[in-house]
Formats: sequence, structure tokens, C-alpha cells
Amino acid sequence: MPSIDYRDAVGGALLVALGAAFTAYSWMHYPLGTVTRMGAGMVPFCLGVILAIFGGMVLFASLSREGTFPQIRVATPLVVLGSVILFAVVIKPFGLLSAAFLATFVAAFADLSFRPLRNAALATGLSAVAYLIFSLGLQLPLPLFAWPF
Amino acid sequence: MDMFSNIALGLETALTPINVLYCFIGVFLGTFIGVLPGIGALAAISMLFPITYHLEPTTALIMLAGIYYGTAYGGSTASILLNIPGTSSSVVTCLDGYPMAQQGRAGVALAMTALGSFFGGVFGILVLSLFSPLISGYALSFGPAEYFTLMVLGLIAASAITEGSAAKGLAMVVLGILLATVGMDPQSGTPRFTFGTLDLMDGLGLSALAMGLFGISEVISSIRTKNDEAAPASARSVTMRSLIPSRDDIRRSWMPMLRSSTIGSFFGALPGTGPSIASFVSYAVEKRVSKTPQRFGKGAVEGVVAPETANNAADQTAFIPTLSLGIPGSATMALMIGAMMVHGIHPGPKMMTDQPTLFWGLVMSFWVGNVLLIILNLPLIGLWVRLLTVPYHLLFPAIVMFIAIGAYSVRYSAFDVLTVAGFGALGYVMRIFAFPAAPLLLGFVLGPLIEQHFRRAMVLARGDLMAIVERPISGVFVVISVLLLGWSLWSTFREAGKRKLLESEN
Repeated sequence: MPSIDYRDAVGGALLVALGAAFTAYSWMHYPLGTVTRMGAGMVPFCLGVILAIFGGMVLFASLSREGTFPQIRVATPLVVLGSVILFAVVIKPFGLLSAAFLATFVAAFADLSFRPLRNAALATGLSAVAYLIFSLGLQLPLPLFAWPF
Repeated sequence: MDMFSNIALGLETALTPINVLYCFIGVFLGTFIGVLPGIGALAAISMLFPITYHLEPTTALIMLAGIYYGTAYGGSTASILLNIPGTSSSVVTCLDGYPMAQQGRAGVALAMTALGSFFGGVFGILVLSLFSPLISGYALSFGPAEYFTLMVLGLIAASAITEGSAAKGLAMVVLGILLATVGMDPQSGTPRFTFGTLDLMDGLGLSALAMGLFGISEVISSIRTKNDEAAPASARSVTMRSLIPSRDDIRRSWMPMLRSSTIGSFFGALPGTGPSIASFVSYAVEKRVSKTPQRFGKGAVEGVVAPETANNAADQTAFIPTLSLGIPGSATMALMIGAMMVHGIHPGPKMMTDQPTLFWGLVMSFWVGNVLLIILNLPLIGLWVRLLTVPYHLLFPAIVMFIAIGAYSVRYSAFDVLTVAGFGALGYVMRIFAFPAAPLLLGFVLGPLIEQHFRRAMVLARGDLMAIVERPISGVFVVISVLLLGWSLWSTFREAGKRKLLESEN
């Protein structure tokens, strides 16, 4: 039975695809120029090829040994990334304190325990810390509250 | 003597109240973050990186450097008390530190660690101030071809020696350089990979990349869904009195301190190797030269002193290539270089003559920082120990918030915060496939410089690739690069065996 390290096989294949994409995109959209006078596309074009070669090596090496595929968690990364995105969306229209409160409130759910009251208390405390450090301490010109309507 | 006027100038800069204050903030935060298990120097520096945008360049670097060597001090505390290394360079410290804690000698282990760290740090600073001027004097004659090949060599060395597969490290370097090409091409003005948005014209931000790759993805991986383990009993039993080492401890430790400082200084200055490797090697050396090697692993004080001395010496000498050549040997040093570039300072051989206050001020601030660290660590050890009992579920929302606000404060751009989220996702995917993130950051920082020097060298050589090999200095760099590349790729295919060996050593 052939043993394959699936983690490296998939990872290597992804690198090959990524390298090919960079090469193809720079070939189609940017002037390559000559070696003496290189265009904007030359360096990314070559780097894409090199990336694909290294990806191919990772893929090739994975075909002859065993490996375990790691466990992939879905909820925790989504909650953490979601809280960062929420901050980005809220900060401009609603101000620092609203964004800090919402982001920490949501992020606190990432350990998959459902304790909204504890999270709200934590978020309140951390928003206060954010005010103390960034507005009072570092004097950043961040509006604390805003209302876009 | 020239040396003395430089040192005087440096001390003058380092001892201004504002610089001492930020040095203190840096080492304080460094120790704080180093003590917390799971957050290393890289995550710490990337989190606090945006704050330094608002400071004077010298002050900013003094603070960032303080965080860097402060984490090395703090990292040992978790190793000794919990058997969980706070940072990767404190892994070896667990071997003898934790047994000492179990024997009720945690206080002695912590005190000797602080002393060894101080000794190693001071030794490293001496090496740094002696060798940097020599190297940068030599590098003044370098042209684009030499810089290009030297950077390639540095990148290959840094990615090939990192743990795991060399092909993966090299692929990540290339990906980093590719990500750095996003934005306007400086030579032709063509926007590259911007997909028509103005947000990407200036390229991807270094701070957003670092915070996403090291901050956010670190948080994601260290959240345990059922944590809240009780703090161990030994964490509360460190009193001032228990810190005092016996005469025997001192007698056993001073030779290891000297040897480990030398080892640490050497590995710190080499690109690719660094504090972690230095700590491993110095532990192995001490075990080899010891008359009683059987005591190692059972609470030998030398086994704690050696790695902690070595990693602090290495932390200081890592600045040699960074400051004198402008070429970072590790991802942390790449961030330091990034911080300098944000302030319009280009580290390299000219920096020492053009910016003597910055260079010598930074070097001398290391002395200040090391003194502050020993003051912070010995009497306040109880405070740090108590920190270990803070549950992570209170901590990680705070980290997320600091990252988000920090990213936003750089340019007051919500797009930067979204970039952090994007790199956080990329970092998590990379962790799944065991792709190292540090080489990517190195490639990202050096990428624009490599491309510039390469294109300039090609113009000078009229497109003749062989011209790079024919110049004597760059030719040597090319030969070493090729040998290193060949060796590391060859070992990728035998890596399974090597990995087993490393695991059995731990």
C-alpha cells in the first residue's frame, strides 16, 4: 500500500497552483521586458515559477512517506477572524469604543463557551483599557463614539 | 579613542529620560509577554509594532529591542515553574529548570537564570559593539550585485536551517517576496496585483502582515476550548528568601556562563541560527564537559544557566548583521528593519556613520535594558509568577483588541484591519499545512530590496547574469548559497529521520 503524507501533498499542490497563478497573472497583465531593462512583470513571473518548483518538491517528498492530516478547527478561527472584521467595519462609522466593545465581545466566544454576561463585562473592561491606553496614553486622534445617520 | 566617544554619544542618547522610559516599557512588556506561555517575541513585537509609528525612530527602536530581549528573560519563568516554555529559546531550560522547581529550588533557578541572562546579555553587547564597525567598514565597498547575492544567501540560510522541511521554508520566502511585489512597482510605476483598488497601491503593510501571521493565527491556535487548568502549586511558593543561591550554585555556574556567552554570541550573529539553536548547543556542550553529566535533566543548575545565558547573548549579537549590513538573520530582526524603514532609516554599513546617535544609542540602551531587566526580575519575580495564573480566556480578547486598534492606528485605515484578518486566515492555513511563517516575513521585508538590487545589478552588467558570479565577493556568496541550497533540499528528502532524532532529544 502506498503511503502518502496527505498534509504535505495538499500543501505542495496548493503552492504549485499559487506559483502558477502568480506567473500566469504577471505574464498576462504586465510587461516582462528584457533582462537588461526588466519590466514590472519579470520578477513576479520568475518568482512564481520558483514557488511552483519548491511546491513541487514538497509534493514529491510527501509521496513516499506517511503522515497524519491535522485536525482542522472551524468555529474558533471564524469567530476570531470575524471579530477582527467586525472591528474594521464598525470603527469608521461608530467610533473606537463601539468597535472595541463589539470586537472583544465577539472574540470572547472563540473558546466556544456560551457566557454572554461574562463576555459583556470583559468587553466593557477592555474598552475602558483601550480608552486609557490609546486615547489618554498615546493621544491618538480616534473618535470615541460616532453615529453615521 | 573613537570607540569611547561613540560609547559616550550612545550613553548620552540612551540615558535621556524619554528613552529610559520607553526602554523600561519595552523590557516590562517583553517580560510580561515572555512569561505568558504561547506568545513569543514575534507575536509581541508585531502587536506593539504600530505603537512605535508614533514615536521618534531611536525611541521606537529602543522600545522594540527591549521587548525582544525582555521576552527572553520572561520566557524562562514559565519553563521553570510550569514546564511549559514561554518562548522557543527557553525549551531547553525546562529540562533542568522544572526538576529544580519540583525539588523546591525554583527560586534559585529563577535567580540564576536572571544572573546568567544578564551576563550573557552584557557579553553579547560587547561583541556587538566590537564587531559591527569592522563588518560595516568592510561592507561599504558592496555594490548592487554583492547586496543581491548576500540577501539571497541570508534568506537561504534563514529558511534552510529552520525546523522542518527546507523546501517549505524556501517556498515561504518566495511567497513573501511575491507578496512584497503587491503595489506600485518603484521603477516603472506600474501597479502590480492591485486588482484595480487604490487600497493596495502602497502595497501590503508590514505591520498588518506581521500581526495577522503571528498575532491572530497565534491566538487562534492557542485558544483551548476546554482550558482553565488550575495553577500549579509551585507557582505560589516563590519568596524573596528562596531566590538566594548557595555558594555551590555560584561556583558551578560561572564557567558555564562564560562558555555559553561565547556560544550564544556566535550563533546569534550567524543568519538562520539564533537564540533557540544557541540554547540547545550550549546545553549539549555543558553536558559534555561536565564531570557529572548524570545530574543533567535532574535539576542541575548548569543546565538552567547555560541555555539562558546563551539565548540572551544571541539576542544581542543578532543585531550585528541587522545593523551593520541591513540584513536580518531572523524574522524578529526583519521586523526591526521594517520599523527602521517606516521611519525612513535604511540600516546598513552607512548607518553607523550617518546615524551615529541612533546606532550607538540603540546599542547602549541594551545596557540600560539589561540593568532594568535584572531589577525587574529579581524583586518582582512574584508578580510575574502570579501572571501565569491569569486564564487565557480573559487574555485573548484583549490581544485581539490590541491588534485591531494597533493595525487601525497606523494609517487610520479600516482596510488595514481587514488585511490583518486576511493574513490571520493565511497564517492559520499555513499552520495547518506546517508551513513556517517566519521565512515569509523575512522574504516580505527583503523582497523589495532584493528586486531593486537585482534589477540594478542587471542594468550595470548589461543583462549578463554571469557578471554576478564573476565578481569575487558576490561570486563567493553565490557558491555558498548554491551549496547551502543543495544541502538543505537534499536533506528535505531525508527529513523524516531527522525529525525523529530531534523529538527524541526533547
